[in-house]
Amino acid sequence: MGEIIVITSGKGGVGKTTAAANIGAGLALRGYKAALVDADIGLRNLDVVLGLENRIVYDLVDVAHGHCRLKQALIKDKRFEGLHLLPAAQTKDKTAVKPEQMREICLQLSEEFDYVIIDCPAGIEQGFRNAVAGAEKAIVITTPEVSAVRDADRVIGLLEAAELREPKLVINRLRPKMVRQGNMMNIEDIIDILAVDLLGVIPEDEKIIVTTNKGDPVIQDERSLSGEAFRNITRRILGEPVPLMDLERNGNFFLRLRRMVGLG
Amino acid sequence: MATDPGQVRADPRVRGAEENQTVLIQRTLRSGQSIFYPGNVVVLGDVNPGAQVAATGDVIVVGALRGTVHAGAGGDEAAVVIAFRLEPTQLRIAEHVSRPPAGMVPAGQPEVARVRDGVISIGAFSGAGERQGTVARALVPYDLEAESDSEK
Ligand SMILES: Nc1ncnc2c1ncn2[C@@H]1O[C@H](COP(=O)(O)OP(=O)(O)OP(=O)(O)O)[C@@H](O)[C@H]1O
Ligand SMILES: [Mg+2]
Repeated sequence: MGEIIVITSGKGGVGKTTAAANIGAGLALRGYKAALVDADIGLRNLDVVLGLENRIVYDLVDVAHGHCRLKQALIKDKRFEGLHLLPAAQTKDKTAVKPEQMREICLQLSEEFDYVIIDCPAGIEQGFRNAVAGAEKAIVITTPEVSAVRDADRVIGLLEAAELREPKLVINRLRPKMVRQGNMMNIEDIIDILAVDLLGVIPEDEKIIVTTNKGDPVIQDERSLSGEAFRNITRRILGEPVPLMDLERNGNFFLRLRRMVGLG
Repeated sequence: MATDPGQVRADPRVRGAEENQTVLIQRTLRSGQSIFYPGNVVVLGDVNPGAQVAATGDVIVVGALRGTVHAGAGGDEAAVVIAFRLEPTQLRIAEHVSRPPAGMVPAGQPEVARVRDGVISIGAFSGAGERQGTVARALVPYDLEAESDSEK
């Protein structure tokens, strides 16, 4: 039986879909079978981020309502051996699926896949309840902003109430320079409030925007800091102890290096 | 002379022991979570921003208090709020409402908030000796009706 992990945040736009795509690809690159489930019915994105939109025939709602078999709706990502996507429906809304149906689908997927990763919609309403219904573990994403941390805290409370204990935290879009200048919350501030284990920190990186627009997860980019951050997160999910990388030093080092070779 | 039960009741150190019960909250209260209890509340964890605790008696937070707490919610002016790290969004005791002044630095030690001279003040908490202790800083009273801060 595989592990079922939901990626959630409360606040919108903090990087859930980006993380789901990269962690899924990362697990596949390490030789594991991973199924990504897009639970954001009505606002699906994961297919686009993975460049798989044009291959959708059936979706999550079709599976829930028995219009097709689970196998028929799963899209195989040919670039990453072992990675599959169960897309969301775009023309329906969150009420088109019930928590029990999600649980059933996730369980079924976990029989065949080592990891089932659920991309949760923003908010704490029905879409959230659906997304967490089938999950056994949770990854909470936040950015270093007070409002995002507040929403992450709210969500951790709701996860605890749903018996999803000990969620892991990912801090996204950190800007070491702003932290150093005292203009952005630092990692310690955030952990101090949320009191959960840190799974990883992803720096602000324009490569994410470039790769997202191309439908190519940044984790493949050997030279990008954010790609390295996602590779580290993947390894930690697999249980390897990987120290936090020093974003600041690396960042400065890269900048200096780029300037030295005349690229900066 | 036998102890007069009325005396016990009047003793501030055992206030709450008779008429009030104490509830233990053995977890961190996160944003959106709230507790109301007709008695004293002890939180063995943090009270995060966006969380709320209201009690008719005292509130003790064995952790960081960053949310909103209302002690003496039934009107008890003698109620206190004690926290290992007292950095509340807002504090209320009985009818008094206050918030920390802007830029207040955490004391780095347990503190107690109580009403003194009609103002919620906080000072170092050091067990029994605290009652004679000096008040370090006054919080900013918040006039709810006028919705304007007296600090301005
Ligand atoms: N580390 C990063 N550096 C730069 N841009 C980022 C980073 N992480 C995410 N982004 C960008 O932020 C935007 C939102 O990301 P994403 O769609 O993953 O968020 P989400 O949490 O899934 O949003 P929603 O709540 O709408 O589902 C995207 O445009 C993405 O490219
Ligand atoms: Mg998304």
